[in-house]
Amino acid sequence: MAEEFERRSPGDRKSPAKPVHVGRRTVLGVLALAGIGIAAGAKIDKALGSSISSVSNAIGVPLPGDDAFRFYTVTGSYPVIPADTFELTVDGMVHEPLRLRLADLRSMRRTQLVHQFQCVTGWVVPDVHWEGVLLSDVLERAGVTPKATALRFFSADGVYTESLTLSQAQLPDILVADKMLGTNVTADHGGPVRLYVAPMYGYKSIKWLNRIEVTNEVVPGYWEDNGYPVNAWIGGVAQVNVVP
Amino acid sequence: MINTAGRSAGGHGSTPGSSLPVGELKRFDLVERLVHWSMAIMMLTLIVTGAILYLPILALHIGHRGLIENIHVITGLCLLGPLVLGLAGPWRKQLLMDLRRFDRWGASDFDWFRTVARRKGLARDKFNGGQKIEAAFLGAAMVAALVTGVIMRFAPSSWITWATGATLVHDALFFGILAAVLAHVAFALSRPDQLISMFNGRISRSWAKTHAAAWLSELERSEPAAASSADGPAGGSSP
Repeated sequence: MAEEFERRSPGDRKSPAKPVHVGRRTVLGVLALAGIGIAAGAKIDKALGSSISSVSNAIGVPLPGDDAFRFYTVTGSYPVIPADTFELTVDGMVHEPLRLRLADLRSMRRTQLVHQFQCVTGWVVPDVHWEGVLLSDVLERAGVTPKATALRFFSADGVYTESLTLSQAQLPDILVADKMLGTNVTADHGGPVRLYVAPMYGYKSIKWLNRIEVTNEVVPGYWEDNGYPVNAWIGGVAQVNVVP
Repeated sequence: MINTAGRSAGGHGSTPGSSLPVGELKRFDLVERLVHWSMAIMMLTLIVTGAILYLPILALHIGHRGLIENIHVITGLCLLGPLVLGLAGPWRKQLLMDLRRFDRWGASDFDWFRTVARRKGLARDKFNGGQKIEAAFLGAAMVAALVTGVIMRFAPSSWITWATGATLVHDALFFGILAAVLAHVAFALSRPDQLISMFNGRISRSWAKTHAAAWLSELERSEPAAASSADGPAGGSSP
């Protein structure tokens, strides 16, 4: 193949050389690069993510392979809720329905995690710092009634919903988070309070959380109605991330 | 031997001598134009919805992620449909031949790249080297975007490592495709005669004499009567 190129040296230009299949080579080259990218992308992401991120932060445009969050909202905008008026309702099959303000959450037992945020479509942000109250602590305070089996989560945007089983909710790495990335959860990240479900894909970590309803059936949430699995274990298998 | 003569002339089914205005050549047949414009509309949709999904400022302020994602995914699954349909029947003749032109490079295509910087890039084939490389890149990029997009959206959740790689590639393709399409549109807008030919299929003989002389000779060889019946200085050059 290479000699076809060489035959095309300037001195040879006048003779009607055999056509060179540049188009085919271009196609194969692009497809080969794509194949390498698919196979090695996760490793490239891990190795180069932070350097790519410094470039993408500098230019203000997300770049392939960076460690930045992608921002999702399922409505035309997103709710901006003042911290001092925020309330999280816990109701349904509980002994004592709760209305927790931010100060209430801050006065409860605090839990911190450092763990990735993994989106089901593939992007991942490594080593995110999360802080808040364990979901199981919130449920314990409300007192779940014996027949309850599931939870529904509601977002202040009015559309986004999520679900967990009650046994999943007992895991030690599911947070009602009011801090992430070392600061209060910002409105674009779903603040003032969002869920963080470490062992599951990102869509489970509902943003702008304002209500937890304890029920006796799993009602699929927004993304689950859109075709994503209800059991969103990362990698397809249940796991618990023990955090020091 | 860049192409066997006789298939490009007159395009698809019609007799060019009778249906074409004097001094005009058939550049794109109806099948090619339908394939081009249906894919163009879908590509525009994909770029706009892709930008909304990808760029944080748009993702946050336009939002509606579920809807936008569905539009993007469905459009992406359909994107190559017109091309497949265009190649699926006896109407494919000219489309297939023009795709072959993208692949086969002769000396003039390499020369075009050498001279284009001096604003003298004169091509001899129907398409110049830049058009050929762009077509090949976009064709491959569309296939790669389809494969990576399907992995991102439909792969089982245990394939997350592949999905991460697919996301990397898909994001990179966003920039590559955007650049290629912007360049394509900018060149088209700055060359109205070529842009119009993608609407009505026709281009002037004088354009072909300057920019695609080898293609013009092919036409003349294959249909001497048709090609030379159009008047003009080139008329006498048929063999």
